[in-house]
Amino acid sequence: MTFDLTIITANAGAIWNAFLVTIYTWLAGSALGIVAGLVIAALMLFGGRPLQLLLRGVIELVRGTPFLVILFLVYYGGPAFGVRLGAVTAGVLCIAGYSSVYFAEIFRSGFAAVPRGQLEAGECLGLSRFDLLWRVQLPQMLVLILPAIVNMLTILCKETAVLSIITVPELTAVLTGIGTRTFTFIETLLVLCIAYLLLIEITSRAGRWLERRVGTYLQR
Amino acid sequence: MFDWPTFVFSLPLLGKALLITLQTSLLGNAFGFVIAILISSMQLAKMPLLRRLGGSYIFIFRGVPLLVQLLVIYYLAPMLGLPNLSPMVAAVLALSLCSGAYIAEILRGGLMAIPPGQREAAHLLGMSRPAILLRIELPQAVQSTLPSLVNELVLLIKASALVSVVGLADLTRVAQNLAASDYLFFQHYLVLAGIYCLINIPLTMFGRRLERHLQRSLA
Amino acid sequence: MKKCNPFRQPLCILTLGVGLSMAVSTAYADLLEEVKERGVLNIGTEFHFAPFAYLEAGQQSGLNLELMERIGEELEVSINWIDLPWPSVLPGLEAGNYDFVAGPAMITRERKLRYNFTLPIAEATVALLKRADDDSIQTPEDLSGKTAGGGRGTAQLEQLQAFAAELPEPPAITEYVDYSQTYADLAAGRIDAVANSLPNIAYTATQRPMFEVVHPPFGQPAYFGYMARNDEASASLIDAINEIILSMHEDGSFEELQTKWFGQPMEVPIEDFEPEI
Repeated sequence: MTFDLTIITANAGAIWNAFLVTIYTWLAGSALGIVAGLVIAALMLFGGRPLQLLLRGVIELVRGTPFLVILFLVYYGGPAFGVRLGAVTAGVLCIAGYSSVYFAEIFRSGFAAVPRGQLEAGECLGLSRFDLLWRVQLPQMLVLILPAIVNMLTILCKETAVLSIITVPELTAVLTGIGTRTFTFIETLLVLCIAYLLLIEITSRAGRWLERRVGTYLQR
Repeated sequence: MFDWPTFVFSLPLLGKALLITLQTSLLGNAFGFVIAILISSMQLAKMPLLRRLGGSYIFIFRGVPLLVQLLVIYYLAPMLGLPNLSPMVAAVLALSLCSGAYIAEILRGGLMAIPPGQREAAHLLGMSRPAILLRIELPQAVQSTLPSLVNELVLLIKASALVSVVGLADLTRVAQNLAASDYLFFQHYLVLAGIYCLINIPLTMFGRRLERHLQRSLA
Repeated sequence: MKKCNPFRQPLCILTLGVGLSMAVSTAYADLLEEVKERGVLNIGTEFHFAPFAYLEAGQQSGLNLELMERIGEELEVSINWIDLPWPSVLPGLEAGNYDFVAGPAMITRERKLRYNFTLPIAEATVALLKRADDDSIQTPEDLSGKTAGGGRGTAQLEQLQAFAAELPEPPAITEYVDYSQTYADLAAGRIDAVANSLPNIAYTATQRPMFEVVHPPFGQPAYFGYMARNDEASASLIDAINEIILSMHEDGSFEELQTKWFGQPMEVPIEDFEPEI
């Protein structure tokens, strides 16, 4: 077996661009997913019964379907309804949609973990429902759910690899493409593994650092 | 919009592929569980080397996307003495190795929650370390983590949608092939999503019931 | 508490097991012999490459199937088809997961150094496929400033990239996992043209009138072949298959197959040749 890493340096520009696409789809998708998740969680808490049931159903359906199948539905099924998203846009939206239901569950459990007594105290003080949510529940909840959010972010980082199947020019697509073209399968896969390991490690380290920082506020 | 004859025609093909998907993920889960027992007890071992080995295993298999793991195993397994690797073996191997890392994390939590007094008592009774693990600690760890284990199975069934990259004609690949031959992309992928949901939603609900049951019995 | 660890043993067993299996897997010196003994020829392919390999009503169909069934009969072995996304096919061959690739693949100089090809089975010169109602593309050069797609890891894509770079306004090129997806996106309007070998797109255009081939082909003249690993063991298999192909040229059955799947016979070299690309 020959091992030729010059192929990596020769294609450094293309690989760097692919890396940026990975980062972009991952972070943009996650950010949208977090916002959507927060909205879903709030609607689940404060919406009426029919709305709750509807959302419950949507959450179950999304959670029951593989990410790849959701991608196929949106990207290749979309044109049947005149929805022709570009691959990167479709990728970002699918990551956002897929993750929003998981984020919603995380937020919901976070809301539930804030002691009821605090809500009652807040109500007695005359705080509005929105103020209660925004100033009492949210800050505490964010601290509690931080580990779960970071974990979800690492999962989503890995899911971006699946975007290679719908032509998004991200790391997996570009590196396997180079590998097949130049017969350097092993080298390109190795670089691919290292890149993801690095991303995941940096994310979890940043998460742990953040947990330590915000954790101090809870231990008073 | 929905072409019923095509749907009816595709059902037996999808049914056959569903069996492949279920077989792959169940086998992957079973072998993954065995790997997880090994890895989680390595992580809880006293020897630093073992702990580090267990930790590295989890670091690698949780840090690399399954799609990439599948490719690595497919390209590299023959070098480790597995020539003519059949797609099924390659897929099960990859799913086991990957789910092993996730299940190990779950089991480790369960094992750590067991009071150390039990182990010491069993040790005094003359039980060997493997016997303590398999007969006293593991059953408790499984019982207390069963909801997470069921959840892990759901995740694995979904993850198995990627196994076609090693040549297995699973549910997703067959639907993809059907769509390529008649261009009814939306319909085939909708049916595909429906089949996954039919399997996964009852499983999820079962897991949630287990969880409630567990919380009640602990309360 | 005494330190006793149950996992030193399994680790040893694991190491031993891997070592043993490496020792057991001594490769045969002759692939043809091995295949005949096994009774099965394992072939890697991709079912998204009509008219060579595609699915009709869920069943494999195409020239690959008919040609390889015939070859299997002559060699007295059955054929086991493994359908993979194209970017996985060549690495799988090199890794030893199957004996042979009936893709087919375009015979290029680079690939010829790396693999052992059979005699050509069809022409592979690359041309463009467009939507029939798109009048803005009349010659390949009209692709300038538009968008095009090709299969990831294919020689066809490389031809497209080389051609596109010469155009006044190089078109944006999207890489797909398989050609079915390129046709789907061409139909959906996400891309303006698909670059693939002439037999493929000519067949696709006859099956789906919404598509049309852009003449003339822009690529260098090229041919399709099947392939095995470039090792001594595989030489016997390639020789045996080449002999069968030659005999089929002689009795006219090869031209019959080509006519059935390409609409006309194709002139292909019947001896070793130097590819132009």
